[in-house]
Amino acid sequence: MTENNSVLFLDGNAAASLLQEIFVPDISIAEIRCVACGFASSVGSLRLYAASMGAVLRCTHCDGILIRAVHTRHGRWLEMTGARHLRF
Amino acid sequence: MIEPAIAPQPRLEWQLAEVRAIVVETPRVKSLLLQVPAWQGHLPGQHVDIRLTAEDGYQAQRSYSIASPPEDALLTLTVERLDNGEVSPYLVDDVRVGDQFELRGPIGGYFVWTVATRGPLCLIAGGSGIAPLAAMLRHRARRKVRAPTLLMYSSRSLEEVIYGEELDAMSRGDSDLRLVNTLTREQPEGWTGYRRRIDKAMLAEVGFPPEQHPKIFICGPTPLVEDASRFLVELGHPFPTIKTERFGPTGGLAS
Amino acid sequence: MAGSPISRGFRSRRQEQTPRNRVPPGQYVTTDFPVLSAGPTPQIKVEDWTLALQLAGSLLGKWSWAEFEALPQTTIKTDIHCVTKWSKLDTTWRGVTFDDLLKGVGLAEPPTPYVMAHSDGGYTTNLPVADLINGRGMIVTRYEGLPIPPVHGGPARLFVPHLYFWKSGKWVRRLRFMEKDERGFWESLGYHNYGDPWKEQRYDGD
Repeated sequence: MTENNSVLFLDGNAAASLLQEIFVPDISIAEIRCVACGFASSVGSLRLYAASMGAVLRCTHCDGILIRAVHTRHGRWLEMTGARHLRF
Repeated sequence: MIEPAIAPQPRLEWQLAEVRAIVVETPRVKSLLLQVPAWQGHLPGQHVDIRLTAEDGYQAQRSYSIASPPEDALLTLTVERLDNGEVSPYLVDDVRVGDQFELRGPIGGYFVWTVATRGPLCLIAGGSGIAPLAAMLRHRARRKVRAPTLLMYSSRSLEEVIYGEELDAMSRGDSDLRLVNTLTREQPEGWTGYRRRIDKAMLAEVGFPPEQHPKIFICGPTPLVEDASRFLVELGHPFPTIKTERFGPTGGLAS
Repeated sequence: MAGSPISRGFRSRRQEQTPRNRVPPGQYVTTDFPVLSAGPTPQIKVEDWTLALQLAGSLLGKWSWAEFEALPQTTIKTDIHCVTKWSKLDTTWRGVTFDDLLKGVGLAEPPTPYVMAHSDGGYTTNLPVADLINGRGMIVTRYEGLPIPPVHGGPARLFVPHLYFWKSGKWVRRLRFMEKDERGFWESLGYHNYGDPWKEQRYDGD
């Protein structure tokens, strides 16, 4: 993802490129379970925020942060402390 | 026999796409038909990333839904010109046949429908959100599958209905495909259709009832997508049957 | 990027006539005010709003909206710079300086070297106090003479315009003094800990 990115979509689908660079199978159809409320969603259905800085993906049920990801010229960051698991 | 859908493994290497044809869809919208030599196929609803590089090395990257069905040899991207945009004015005003740019994908197996999926199909689109849903409809038509299907399509005016003639022809020739347009700002004389934003009453009048378990796909500007999905849940459709894709600028420049 | 083919005729529309000495490297000027948030916009009622200064779990001071509005008000006209490359010139803000907040709790100087700003919705950003005192930092409540709209951080946001704008945390509610620096929301995920636009300190490692 270049520094000048600004995506059109606002779903987890839009973060798909950013995350897909890290995962091998299709990340948008992976199931993700929220640590805070236990709700399970597809990554593709999550609400995406701050797309021009990276990706902040929030639980569709409780709005808690599930995934944070950033790609800079120095490397990629991925934080998933809000997720209990990812299932492919 | 209709094979179950398996999304191709995501390919994230940049490839070179060449513009083979340009179609003017509406005053602000054009479709670019692209040849991508090593294209491995896609499923209706998926999208691609494209990347433009200026002479000084400046790059801009955007995502666009694939509007063509997998049965087509060329890939179609449908682009709406956004006034303050950086990329869309270039793609709509400047790009010529023969131009090339980088492309990668397909991306996103979440927002996908193929004819292998049983049951009624409910598609709800706003503006240029019609693109991935058009891929689904074109795929359905090419495979000659008569799954009961509804397209509810919100546009500002008749002139701004993308693929208008094609969609009309598709629904005229297929009694299992219902096309419902709503024109929210301007209607032609004699217009008997809806004249307002998609709301709960409209969805109740026209949509499949929950007992028929439709698969629902909504794509367009965020307010339309959020409202429509909320109304559908209130009408009794289970949340997991509703898949959404929101279009919109996200905090950088408009695209 | 090396080796990418040139897209014929594509140029960044960001090459506008900009007064170069006012625009940090890599930035371009916009007349829009893009909205960038890490989460949904909180809808905060001013009747429920408070601002607190904290030190090691104890409260140094707390203001209700009415009390906050009664503090000395400062108006500033300045430029703001977002790490996503847009800059907006000559923006006018009004609020209370960090210096006046300290005075309001009877402190002549900050008790620790660092501050973490906490916002409604959970956003955080960290700063050295040196970048807040002497008028460098404010809590602002008005933008261009009107109450700051919620999407832009209203009713009150932190305002530290000499750093990239992610440091000007929206919906600020608490300033927590820290003995040791801790990284906030973006600083802990690859963004620069300090964020000086003039040194183009966008990312950790710049």
